[in-house]
Amino acid sequence: MRDRLESIAERLARASVVDRLVISLAALVTAVLIGGVLVFVSGAFASCRTGLEMGGATFCYNPMQVYYELFLGALGHPLEGGWTLTNYSLATTLQRTTLLIFSGLSVAVAFRAGLLNIGTQGQLVVGGLATAVTVVYAAAVVPSGFIGTVVLIPLGVLAGALAGGVYGAVPGALKAYADANEVITTIMLNIIAVGITSTLLSWQFQDPNSPNPQTAPVPEYAEIPTVPVVGFGGRMDFSLLALAFAVALMIGIAWLFARTSFGYELRTSGIQPGAAAYGGVDEKRMTVASMTLSGALGGIGGAFWVLMVHGRWIENVPSLGFDGIAVSVLAGNSPIGVGAAAFLFGIFDSGGNAIGTATDVPPELVGILTGLIILFVAMPEFFRMLGRRYVTVDSASPARTDGGDAGANDGGDADA
Amino acid sequence: MPMRNSVHRARTALEQRPLAAAVGGVAAFLLVLWATPASWQTSTLRFAVPIALAAIGGIFAEKSGVINIGIEGLLIVSAFSAIVVVNRLGDGGATAGLPNLWWGMLIGVLVSVLFALLFAIVCLEFEADQIIAGLAVWLISLGLAPFASRILFDSPNTANITRFENVTVPVLSEIPFVGYLLFDTEPQVYLMLAGAVAGWYLLSRTTFGRWVVASGENPKALDTAGVDVRKVRYAAVLLSGVFAGLGGAGFGLGTLGTFAGTGDTVINGRGFIAIATYLLANYHPIGALLGSFLFAGLNSMQNGLQAAGYAIPTELIRTLPHMTVIVVLVFVGRTRLPDAAGDHYESGED
Repeated sequence: MRDRLESIAERLARASVVDRLVISLAALVTAVLIGGVLVFVSGAFASCRTGLEMGGATFCYNPMQVYYELFLGALGHPLEGGWTLTNYSLATTLQRTTLLIFSGLSVAVAFRAGLLNIGTQGQLVVGGLATAVTVVYAAAVVPSGFIGTVVLIPLGVLAGALAGGVYGAVPGALKAYADANEVITTIMLNIIAVGITSTLLSWQFQDPNSPNPQTAPVPEYAEIPTVPVVGFGGRMDFSLLALAFAVALMIGIAWLFARTSFGYELRTSGIQPGAAAYGGVDEKRMTVASMTLSGALGGIGGAFWVLMVHGRWIENVPSLGFDGIAVSVLAGNSPIGVGAAAFLFGIFDSGGNAIGTATDVPPELVGILTGLIILFVAMPEFFRMLGRRYVTVDSASPARTDGGDAGANDGGDADA
Repeated sequence: MPMRNSVHRARTALEQRPLAAAVGGVAAFLLVLWATPASWQTSTLRFAVPIALAAIGGIFAEKSGVINIGIEGLLIVSAFSAIVVVNRLGDGGATAGLPNLWWGMLIGVLVSVLFALLFAIVCLEFEADQIIAGLAVWLISLGLAPFASRILFDSPNTANITRFENVTVPVLSEIPFVGYLLFDTEPQVYLMLAGAVAGWYLLSRTTFGRWVVASGENPKALDTAGVDVRKVRYAAVLLSGVFAGLGGAGFGLGTLGTFAGTGDTVINGRGFIAIATYLLANYHPIGALLGSFLFAGLNSMQNGLQAAGYAIPTELIRTLPHMTVIVVLVFVGRTRLPDAAGDHYESGED
C-alpha cells in the first residue's frame, strides 16, 4: 500500500517538474513585463527635468534602465569597466541569497506538509533575538579567540533554531488541536513577535551604549568568519561559509524529503492527508512537527542575520521572512529550487538598492514585483491556457503551487 | 454521502457551545465597554469601521466559496487612494457639486472593487489557489501604496487631509445612552451601521443571498437549478470589494487623515483581524459588527491607557487585538467553512 502510494507520488512529482519550471519562468517574465509597464506609466506622475515626451505627458522613468540597475546593479555592473567578482553589490546579493535560502526552506517545509506558514518572519525575528542574547551572555564565560568562535556560533545558531522552532510550534499546535487557521495565526504572531521582542529589548537587552533600539554587539570572534584569500572579506557582511552552510542545509532538507520516512510522511500529509492518516501518520503530531521544523529554519535565518550581517540584533528586521514565501512559491516548494529562487530575490533586494541610488524610481517596486510573481505562480492555468492556444502540449497533471489543499482549512472535511 | 452528513451534524452540534461562549464573551466585553469614558466609546466605533466593513465583505466572498484573504490589500489600496484623491482635488473643497471627501470615498471604493475584480478573475477564470492569490493581492498592495506615495509625496506617507466631520441627527442624537454615540458621529460610522444591516438583509432575506450561500455550500445544486455559479461568485467577490473599500476609504478619510506606508502600513493587519471577526461571528453580518467592537475596543482601550500615562509596555499592549484574534480562533476554530470554500467549480464537471 505504502509502496504504491509512494510510486504514484514520485511519478506525479517528476511529471510536474518541467511544468513547474516553465510556469515559474513564465510568472517571472510576466511579472517583470507588468512591472515595466507600471514603472513607465507611473513616470508620468513623477516630476523630472528630462524624460520621454509623449502625447503631452513627460514619462520620467525608463523601465529598461530600471531593470538594468535591478539585475546588473545587483551583480556590481559586470558589463562596465573595473568590475571584480568580489564586489560589494554581489556580496549583498549573496548575503540576501544565503538568508533567503533559510527563510525559503522554512516556508517550503510547511508548504509541503500542506500548511501555509506566513509566520517565518516572526520566527526569524524571535530566533534572531535569542541568538544575539545567548551569544552576548555566553561570551562572558566562554574563552575568546578560536575556541570562542567554535563554541559561540553553533550555540547561537542553536538558540535561534530553538526559539524559532518554539515560536513555529505554537501555530502548529493551535492548528492541530484547536483547528485555528494557521494563515491568520501566523500573521498575527508576526505582529506579536515585534511587540514581544521590542518589549524584551527595552526591558533587559538594550545596548546601554547606543541610542538605537538594538542589543549589545556580539564579540567579533563570534561573527561568522569569512574565508581568507577567496574574497568577500572585510566589511562586506557576507561569508561564503554561511552560504555553504545554507546550501548544505538545502541539500539536507531535499534529502529529508526524498529519503527519510519523516519526509515521506510529511509530503503525504501535504498531498493526501486522508491517505497519510490511513497509512498511520498521526496528523496532529505531523502538523506540530513540520511547523516546528519550519520555525527552526526561520530561526536559523534570524541567527545568521545577526551573526553575519549586523553582529547584533536590531529592532528593524528586514522582511526576509515574507520574501521567503515568494522564494518558496516560485521554487514550487522544492528545496533545490529554493536555492535558485533565493538567488533571484537576493538580486531583487540588492538591485533594489541600486535602483534607489541610480534612479528616482521608488525601491518599493521590488515589493510589487514580488507580489506579482506570487500572483502569477498561483495561476498556472493562465499559462496553460496561453500554452494551449499557441502550442499543443499534452498537459501534465496539474501542479499545485502549494502541494496541498491549503484552501480547505477545516482539513478533515475535504476528505471525510 | 450519508457518512459525511452525519459527521457534519455531529460537528455542528459540537460547534454550538463554543460559539455561544464566544457570543457571551463579546456581550460581556460590550458591557464593560459601556462603563468606559465616552471618548473611548467614540474611538471604538471609529476603529471598528475598517474591521466591520471588511468582515462583512469577506462574509459574502467566503459564503460564495471564494476565500478572500486579500481584503487586507483592499483596505490598503482604498484608504490610500481615497486620501490621494482628496489631496489632488483640493483639501476641504468640492468638485462638480460633490465634496472632495466624497469623491475620495467613491474612488477609494472603485479602486478596491478593481482589485477585487482582479482577484476574482485570477481565481474564477484561471483557477488560482485562493489563499496564495489573496496573499499576492496583499503583497502587491503593500508595495503599491508606498510606491505611489513616494512618487506623489516624496515619502512613503501621504500628506494630511482634513477629515470628515461629525454629522448630528437632530432629535435622535438626544436619545439617552446611545444617541451621542450612534447619531452624533462621523459619516463612515453611519456607513458601517447601515452596511451591517444591508449586508444582513442581502445575505439572509434576498434571492441573491440564497444564491451566495448555495454557491458556497453546494454549487452543483445551484448549477442544476439554472443559476450561473461563476456569476454569483463574481458578484460576491466584487461585493467584498465594495464593503472593504467603504471600510478602507472611510477609515482613511474619517479616522486617519493620512496614510502611513512604512512596514505593514497603517492598516496593520486589520483585514486579517476582519477575517477572524467573521469567523467569530459565524458569518453573520450583525455579529461581525459586534465582533469588530471587541477588537476596536481593545485598540481604543490601549490608546486610552497610554494617553492616561500608565507605565505599560506599549509595544506589547499594542498587540493586544492580535493576541485576542488568536484566542478567538482557538475558540471558534471549528467554525464550519462553506463546503465548497476554496474549491474551483467548473460547470458541467463530472
